[in-house]
Parts: sequence; C-alpha cells; structure tokens
Amino acid sequence: QQSKGLPKSYIMSTFKHFAKTAVSSDTYPVLKDIMDKYFDRLADDLEAYATHANRKTIEVEDVELLMRRQGFVTDSMPVDVLIEKYLPREYRTLLKPMATSGNKVIPKQRR
Amino acid sequence: MDDEFLHHQRLKAAVHFTVGRFCQEIGRDCQKEFSKMAIAAIAETTFRQCDTFAKDLEAFARHAKRTTVTMEDVKLAARRSTSLSNYITQKSEELTSNNKEQKERKKKQTGKRKSADSLPETEAVGNED
Repeated sequence: QQSKGLPKSYIMSTFKHFAKTAVSSDTYPVLKDIMDKYFDRLADDLEAYATHANRKTIEVEDVELLMRRQGFVTDSMPVDVLIEKYLPREYRTLLKPMATSGNKVIPKQRR
Repeated sequence: MDDEFLHHQRLKAAVHFTVGRFCQEIGRDCQKEFSKMAIAAIAETTFRQCDTFAKDLEAFARHAKRTTVTMEDVKLAARRSTSLSNYITQKSEELTSNNKEQKERKKKQTGKRKSADSLPETEAVGNED
C-alpha cells in the first residue's frame, strides 16, 4: 500500500518523543489525518506568501513568515534558536552560516 | 512611560465606545441586550486582535519588501477564512473603483477649468453628474 506523507514510524516516534505519556498505536490514523491537513495548509500558505512577494519559488523567508504567523517565531524567539533547538547537526550546518578555514563562511549569508 | 499608559487608555476608550455602539446596533437587530461586561470583553479582545493584526500586516509588507501596508497585505491576512476574504476583496474593489471615479472627476474638473472657454460642451457634461 503506497501512501503519501511521512512514514508511520517517523510520525509515531516523533509524537512519542514529545508526548510525556505512553501513546497507544490507535492514535496513528488521527495523527496522519492531522499531518495531511497540516501539510495541505502549509503548501497553500507558502504559495500565497511567495506570490505575495512576486516570486514563483518558495524561499526561506516564506517559511520564516509562515512560522511567525503560526506563532513559533516571535520577537523573543528567533528562527536561529528554533533551528538550534530542534534540528540535528547535519541540517543545522546547512541553515546556519559557520566560519571555516581560510576565513570562509559556509553557507553564504543571504542578508 | 506614564504618558504611554495614558495614550493606551485613550485608545482603549475609543475602541470601547465604538464596540458599544456596534453592540447596541446588533442588539437592536436581534432584540437581545449585551451586558456591560460582555461589551468590555469584546472591546478588550478587539484591542488585542489589533495588536496581532498590526504585527502580521507589518510582517507581510516587509516580506514584499515594502514599508507601506497595502490592500494586498490585508487580503493576505484575511485569506484563511473564505467568507471574510470574499467580503474584503469585494470591499477593496469598491474602494478602488470609487478612488478611480474620484480621480477621473478631479481630472475632468481641472480639464474643464483649463478648457472652459474653448470647449463649452465638456462643461455641460460635467455639470450633469
């Protein structure tokens, strides 16, 4: 059975990680439904934000704006802190500029 | 600090007044009354809603690399609720058409003054509306 979306094991393990109590397996259908709806809305919003800035490509700014509207990013909680807190190191290095040998900054700073 | 507080209070009072008027009107239509506490609660909610609304609009304008909030930002803020966004789109269309009419009228008037002697016909048309 080919199903779209994140794999079941990933969703359940993430949910169990953040839930402080035991999670029964019959929560999965509901969770999956919620995740599907979430991603539908996410895509819709990102598209609107990109067209708002006269772009056809969704960029980091759009995602940042979305997270600001969702209330994850606030004045007291910048994106960098969230990246630091929730993303594993290999993804963090892709997003946060870091000085390497030869006085080079990887990746290049956008702003 | 104290001055800012007073300013805040004055803004809140203005919001409260307007909310009271709206509630009266709605109450008359539905033949129900709003308690004073309910009106105060709605006023407070409106006030805080304005805060989040302002922040959102600012973020949207900055996102489109503008410093002025425009109609597009307002539409984007109201996008999630279909009926609300429909209403706002309709209103914005009305506003833009009104603005256009006014501009055209102004143009006509200035044009009329310039060519009042040479073209009396345009003056007659202008007087009609």
